[in-house]
Amino acid sequence: MGKRLRLSGLILLSLWVAGSASAQSKVGEKDWNEILNAAKKEGKVVVAGSPDPVMRNEIIPKFAARTGIPVEFIAGRSSQIVARVETERSAGIHSVDVFLAGPDTTAIDLYGNRMIDPLRPLLVLPEVVDGSKWKSGKVWFLDPEERFVVRPFSSVATMLFVNTDHVKPDELRSYKDLLNPKWRGKISTEDPTTTGAGANMAARFHTQVGEEFVKALYIDQKPVSTRERRQMSDWLARGTQPICLNCREDDVRPLVKEGFKILEIFELTGVPGTINGSPWLLSLANRAPHPKAAQVFANWILSKEGLETYARGYGSATLRTDIDESYLNPGNIVKKGTKYFDDTDWKWIVTGRHESREKVWKLLKTR
Amino acid sequence: MKSATATVFSFRYRLPPIRVAEISFLIFLAVAMGLPLLFLLSGSFNLAAPGRAAVYGFDNWIRAFSDGGTLGALWMSFLLSVVRLIPAMIIAVIFAWLIARTDMPCGNAVESFCWIAYFVPDFPLTLAWILLLDPNFGLLNSLAKSLPWVDGPLFNPYSFWGIVWVHTSTGGIWFKVMLLVPVFRRLGAALEEAARVSGAGTGTMLRRITLPLLSPMILAVSVLSFIRGLQSFNTELLLGTPAKIYVYSTRIYDYLQQEPRAYGEATALGSVFLIVLAILLFIYWKYLRGEKKFTVVTGQGYSTMRVKLGKWRYVALGSCFLYIAVMMILPLLFLVIGSFMRRYGFFDIAAPFTFAHWRNLFADPLFWEALRNSLIIASVTALGGIMLYSGVAYLLVSRRTVTAPLLESLCWIPHVLPGILLSLGVLWLFLSTPLRWALYGTVWGIALALILADSPVTTQAFKAGFLQLGPDLEEAARVSGASWSYTYRRILLPLLAPIAAAVGLMNFGSALTSISTPVLLYSHQSRPLAILLLEYSFTGELERAAALGLSMTMIIGGMMMVARKFGLRLSRSD
Repeated sequence: MGKRLRLSGLILLSLWVAGSASAQSKVGEKDWNEILNAAKKEGKVVVAGSPDPVMRNEIIPKFAARTGIPVEFIAGRSSQIVARVETERSAGIHSVDVFLAGPDTTAIDLYGNRMIDPLRPLLVLPEVVDGSKWKSGKVWFLDPEERFVVRPFSSVATMLFVNTDHVKPDELRSYKDLLNPKWRGKISTEDPTTTGAGANMAARFHTQVGEEFVKALYIDQKPVSTRERRQMSDWLARGTQPICLNCREDDVRPLVKEGFKILEIFELTGVPGTINGSPWLLSLANRAPHPKAAQVFANWILSKEGLETYARGYGSATLRTDIDESYLNPGNIVKKGTKYFDDTDWKWIVTGRHESREKVWKLLKTR
Repeated sequence: MKSATATVFSFRYRLPPIRVAEISFLIFLAVAMGLPLLFLLSGSFNLAAPGRAAVYGFDNWIRAFSDGGTLGALWMSFLLSVVRLIPAMIIAVIFAWLIARTDMPCGNAVESFCWIAYFVPDFPLTLAWILLLDPNFGLLNSLAKSLPWVDGPLFNPYSFWGIVWVHTSTGGIWFKVMLLVPVFRRLGAALEEAARVSGAGTGTMLRRITLPLLSPMILAVSVLSFIRGLQSFNTELLLGTPAKIYVYSTRIYDYLQQEPRAYGEATALGSVFLIVLAILLFIYWKYLRGEKKFTVVTGQGYSTMRVKLGKWRYVALGSCFLYIAVMMILPLLFLVIGSFMRRYGFFDIAAPFTFAHWRNLFADPLFWEALRNSLIIASVTALGGIMLYSGVAYLLVSRRTVTAPLLESLCWIPHVLPGILLSLGVLWLFLSTPLRWALYGTVWGIALALILADSPVTTQAFKAGFLQLGPDLEEAARVSGASWSYTYRRILLPLLAPIAAAVGLMNFGSALTSISTPVLLYSHQSRPLAILLLEYSFTGELERAAALGLSMTMIIGGMMMVARKFGLRLSRSD
């Protein structure tokens, strides 16, 4: 083991060691250095995920600098990544080590088609396995066996955005206010007739409020739908459609900085707030070509440094207790004792959402 | 053993070169085009989840076609495609004729504008049209409202006619002009002069001589454009969804996006394009097989003298530039401005302009890596396409091959498969070959996939060019003792140099801008610019995407100048 490796191992551990003795399988400096040494010999780690500027500009350089292991990032829509990985596997090729994917892809494709390995035994860094570092008292494994899929984020999702030049906050207090004829044609939504955020929200409304509300909102109110996320935030800023059901926070944030009077609404009377695990869930590919490098990446990305870098760049709340959350909009932080609808709940992803979405699609096709 | 080897050798030796070429091309195309199609078709009947044992049935097909919206979407696609095709084809033929067959001044400049227009990325250009035409904030509507007799928005891009209009701007006539101009140029003037001597006016000459002679290319371009129209998707997604206009490709896209992916249903829907192609090809072959002759270049002297338009030449030029100004320069101007805006289209924010997007683009190390990859991929694609498909096209028109219909059908396959499905089929093909280490995830593999994807346009362009050359050219060379390869290299290819330059450049540009073909084939090391553009668009970095799109257009513009000079010099040298 070279001097450089020992030094980087020491730096990593000194950054990560939290001091708790209750960890399930934490390792000492020597063991960690062995893992790091083996990981470096593998040469790289291949991560597949959404084309995300935070990943590209911050995570990859920081991880490479910290561990000396370069990251190959396969970026794309989850549908494209899964198609590619499935075809590779049918030809006996296993090229991806780590998946940073959305809940549907993770639960239905990666876990459902047995493309991932148990991650729990590979989490060894003291500050990762230390339960006191996590709001839930332990690393949150979402899958039924609690071994494969880690959920490191949990933020309160924005229910809708309004342009207050056109909609006064008092005018939208209850979910029923959305049905005010004044807002007919003034609401934008991602196309609810196809898979995506629009359909997911309609499915949530269907479950939480009922079919009549979905019918009234998505048919009678004549919302303007699109499949281009930028279009919705532009309409919101211009006031053409001053109520946006599916605008993304990272699209709207720059508009607020520009001085547009945009208000985030996290809950409406009659509809509890929603939490989700955005931007991704973590899992490791089975038969990974660089298993040790994948282990190092998984441990690092769940460490304070890894998660904080991602969360600050993306603007979401992590489940770690040692990250200062002052960078967040207070509305995004999950409040203790408040009841939320969990949009990344495993059962909801695998069955509930699917069933509700089907009902919504059937309903919308009758219009 | 020795005698067996000798027999095989002598058998091989007896095969005429043209037959060897025919068999080689047939095997290559059958493997490269036919196998991915077979893979997709057989996969569409597989009902099992990925990684599980195959279970075959018709459920995917039944589900795809029993969906209530499918037929409506197909009808909408058909309507949009036809409505777009007819006026665009008429305008394109007029443009090509004016550029190549008349003395209209600045013809080369008009042609260059058409080339640049074709390669401007369509997504930001569509957004530019929204900024111009939106009923609420569109610039043209705002200007129109200031007129005393206008009390509402005049234009609406979120409509059937809005989609037709934007399509005419983003790809409509440019692609057709690019393909038609070289064959119009190749048309000898002798027949037109004969018509004039016989008292025919310009209109009669165009109708009775020029257009019938050029009909193979016009028909081929029409078929290509019609199927492209059916597959069109991006503009419809942006402009159609708010107006609840759904097209057939949107339905295919939906199946590809859902969880879990429904490739079976998507392929089932995609098969409709195969049927449409089969019908159109049948009509096309019937037409070419008749008694008509399309030869315009023979060994008996060749003149390309142009039609004199007199005072109308300036009217023609003005009309061309007016069309280009409205359909291309106006939205392009918005696109250029957009790349310098802090937020695309928002002029009323404080300090709306910035160089940050361009600075960030050039500071991104991924940009330079992707640029190098893209230049390699595009160059290999352009040269490879010319070498491969000029040979295929020669065989198709030589009337000495017995498998021409099969060869040609194989060449059309990439045009009827939606891009992502083609990419999936090629991915499967690459992974199944022992050469996968050289093809999968490399720039060479992406270039090969793009060469395959370019086969319909490139083959048809060369085919139309070969149809114009008379058999006496080859015969004269042979009588003079020239070998086939010498004749091909020194006589036929120089005569086809303008077409080669045109399709080579077109393929270069397509390789640079294509997203759907490399999307499943690239790796970290071989990421091209188009994938970077996709990543920027996907993450909402629209302004940086606009800057990147414009950079790609500028690269193509530079290449266009080189290729035009090269093509024209080649055609003159012999």
